Amino acid sequence: MRTAKVAQPWAVIAAVVVAVAACSNSSSPAAASAAASAPAVSTQPSAPAEKVTVNFPYLWSGPEGDALEKVIASFNSSQTAITVKGVSSPDFQKQLASMSGSNGFDISDNFGSTVGSWASKGILEPLDDYAKADGTDMSDFVPTALQSNQYQGKTYALPIAVHTLLLMYNKKMFADAGISGPPTTMTDLQADIAKLTKADASGNITQFGMRSPDYITLAYAFGGKWYDDQGNATPDDPGNLAALHFWVDNVVKKYGADAIKKFESGYGEYASAQNPFYTGKVAMTLDGEWQPVFIKQYAPSLDWGVVAIPYPDGQQSLAGATQLTSSMFFIPKNAPHKQEAWTFLKYLTGTDAMKQFSRALGNLPARTSLLGDPVYNDLPQFNVWLDSLKSPNLRIFASLPSTAQYQKDLSDEFQLVANLTDTPEAGMAKVKANASGYSQ
Amino acid sequence: MHRSVLRGLLFASPWIVGFVIFQLVPIAASAYFSLTNFNLFQDPQFVGLRNYQRLASDALFWKSLLNTLYLTVIGVPVSLTAALAAALALNMRVRGQSLFRLFVFLPTVVPVVAATYIWRWLLNAQYGYVNGALGAVGLGQPLWLDDPFWTKPALILMSLWVTGSAMVVFLAALQDVPETYYEAAVIDGAGPWAKFRHVTLPLISPVILFETIIAGIFTLQYFTQAFLLGQTRLNAASGGPENSLLVYGLYLFQQAFVNLNMGYASAMAWVLLFVALAGTWLLLRVSRDRVFYAGD
Repeated sequence: MRTAKVAQPWAVIAAVVVAVAACSNSSSPAAASAAASAPAVSTQPSAPAEKVTVNFPYLWSGPEGDALEKVIASFNSSQTAITVKGVSSPDFQKQLASMSGSNGFDISDNFGSTVGSWASKGILEPLDDYAKADGTDMSDFVPTALQSNQYQGKTYALPIAVHTLLLMYNKKMFADAGISGPPTTMTDLQADIAKLTKADASGNITQFGMRSPDYITLAYAFGGKWYDDQGNATPDDPGNLAALHFWVDNVVKKYGADAIKKFESGYGEYASAQNPFYTGKVAMTLDGEWQPVFIKQYAPSLDWGVVAIPYPDGQQSLAGATQLTSSMFFIPKNAPHKQEAWTFLKYLTGTDAMKQFSRALGNLPARTSLLGDPVYNDLPQFNVWLDSLKSPNLRIFASLPSTAQYQKDLSDEFQLVANLTDTPEAGMAKVKANASGYSQ
Repeated sequence: MHRSVLRGLLFASPWIVGFVIFQLVPIAASAYFSLTNFNLFQDPQFVGLRNYQRLASDALFWKSLLNTLYLTVIGVPVSLTAALAAALALNMRVRGQSLFRLFVFLPTVVPVVAATYIWRWLLNAQYGYVNGALGAVGLGQPLWLDDPFWTKPALILMSLWVTGSAMVVFLAALQDVPETYYEAAVIDGAGPWAKFRHVTLPLISPVILFETIIAGIFTLQYFTQAFLLGQTRLNAASGGPENSLLVYGLYLFQQAFVNLNMGYASAMAWVLLFVALAGTWLLLRVSRDRVFYAGD
C-alpha cells in the first residue's frame, strides 16, 4: 500500500525529467550544426568527367521563378562541366538556416541591404578575387547598386536588378471621386486619400484611399534619413517624424487604427488577382517597377497610372525622392562548389542574362548600359520607373552590420506607431536607444 | 557479476552512445556557447556571463517570457478544464458513445501546420467564420489575429480544439474510479456535483497533476502555431502584431537563426530550462497536500 504511494510521484518526476531533457533539446540542433560548421572546407571533385551540380535555391516564385528557370536552362545548355539546379524556395529563414550548416547551397539571391550584416559575420564569400582572376569588369553596374553589395571595400554580391517605389493610382477610382489628376504635393495626397476613403455607417472602411505605405520610403520623400554619414542610426530625424505624422495624423487618427486593421485583414495575396490595388479596395499604393508585368498578368483591365511620390508643400527640391533597393546574387561561405557558382553568377549578372531576366520580370536592370535598352519599351509606364533612377533624391538604406537588426526594430516600432500605441517621437526614441547597443 | 555488468552495458550501449552524442554533448555545448558570442560562422568569443546580463535588460526577452507565461498560466488550465469536461461528458453511457469520442478526438490527428492555417482563415477579422458566428448572435467581433490583445486568446481558442490526447487520459482515469465509491456516495445523499467534487476529483487528482506538468512544460516550448500565425511574405522574421505572438521559443529561434546570436540563444535555452524546473518544483510542492494517491 505504501509502495503505491511512493511509486506514483516517482513516475511523475521521471516523466518530468524526460520532458525537461526534451525541452533543453531545443538548443541542441543549433549546437550540433554549429559544431559542424567550423571545419567546412569545400572539397572540389577532382574527376572532371562528371558534371558538377550547382544548387541554386531562389526566393522568387510563380511566373518570376519561371523566368529565372529559362535563364538557368540557357546557361545549362551552354555548359559542358556545370549543371545548375534551380528550386523556388521563398523563405528567408530557411535560406539563412541552410547557410549555417556544413554543406549548403552554392548560390542564391537576396537584397543588397543584407550584405553588411552577413559579410561582417563571415557568411558571404568575397568575390573580388574571382573577378580579378578572370578579368570581370564591374564598372558597368549601377554604382549605387554595386556599393550596396560591398562591405569594407570588398564585393560580396553582384546586383541583378534595382527597384524603386513610386505612387501608383487607380484612374477609374480617381475619376469616380472627381479628382482630375494624380497628386504632386503631400497636401494633394492628403486631400485625395480623404476623397477616396469610404466607410459605412458603423465605421467599417469599405474603400481605402491609399494602402499603408513603406514608412522608410515615405520618410525619404519628407527629406528624412535613417543613417548619418558616420553610420549612426538616426530614426528620430525630423523628416522621418514628419512622414510618420503625415500618416498617423491624416489617416490613422481619422479612420481609426482598428478599422484600418480590420480592412487590411481582408486583403488578398500580394502576387495574385486579389491584390487590393487590383480589386479596387485601395486607390493608391507605393509600389515597384515589377507592377506593369504583374498587372498584365493578374489585372489586365486595370486602368492605372504612376507618378513620383509627392513632395511636401513648398519643398520642390525634394521632388522625385524614393528609395533604391537592389536584388543580388551571392555565394555563401559554406558553398560546396564556389568556383562553379561564380561561373554561373557571372553569367547571371552579365548583359545578356540580365536583359532577358529583367525584361521577363519587368525589373530595372542593374547595368548602366541596359537602362536605355529598347527591350523594355513595350512595358506600360515602365519609363516612369526608369526616370526615377535619374532623380538626385534617390536614396539608399546603407548596408551596415546593424542594418538587418535596425530594419527589424523599425518595422516592430512602425506597428506600434500605426496602432497609436506610441507617438512617432516616443517610438523613434525607443529605436534610437536600442540602436546604441547594435555595435556590440 | 563483473561480466554481467559489462554485458549489460554492452546491450545498453546503443542507447548510451546515442544519449552521449545526441543529448549530453549538445547540452554541454549549449552551456558553453551560452557563455560566448557566437554567430555560427566565426569562432566563439568567451564573454562570461554577459549574455545572461544582457537578457535582464532585453525588453523583447521579457515580452516573450510574459507571452509564454500567459499561455501557460491561462491556457493550460483552460484547455485541461475543457479536456476534463469533454471526458466527463464522454464517460456517460449514451447511445453512440464511441462515435462522440471519435468526434472529440479527431481534430487531434490533424497536423498542427494544417490546423493552424485553417484557423488563420476561421479567425480572419473580416471574412472568418468565427466572427461571422459572433456577429450573427450580436456579439463583438474581435480582430483575433490583428489586435495584440486578442492574438493570445486566439491561440488558446485554437488549443481547445485539440484537447483529444488529454481527454483520452482523463477518460481512462475516470473509468478507473471504482463504481462502489459512487454507490456509497449516493447512499450518503450526494448529488452529481458532490460526487464529482468528493469522489471523482480526488481519485483522478494524480492524473490531473501529471497532465498539468506535461502540458505546462509543453506550453513553455510553444512555437509552431505562433510562428505560423505571425508568418509574413517570404517568411521574414515576425512576432505578430506588436510582437504579441513572440513566444519564448520564437524569440529564441529568431535570435539563433535570424540575428545569428547563437550564444545569446543558448543562454535563453538555459533560462527556459530553469523556468521549467522551477515551475515543476512549485507545482509538485503546491499539490503535495491536494493530490490523493489511491491505496492510502
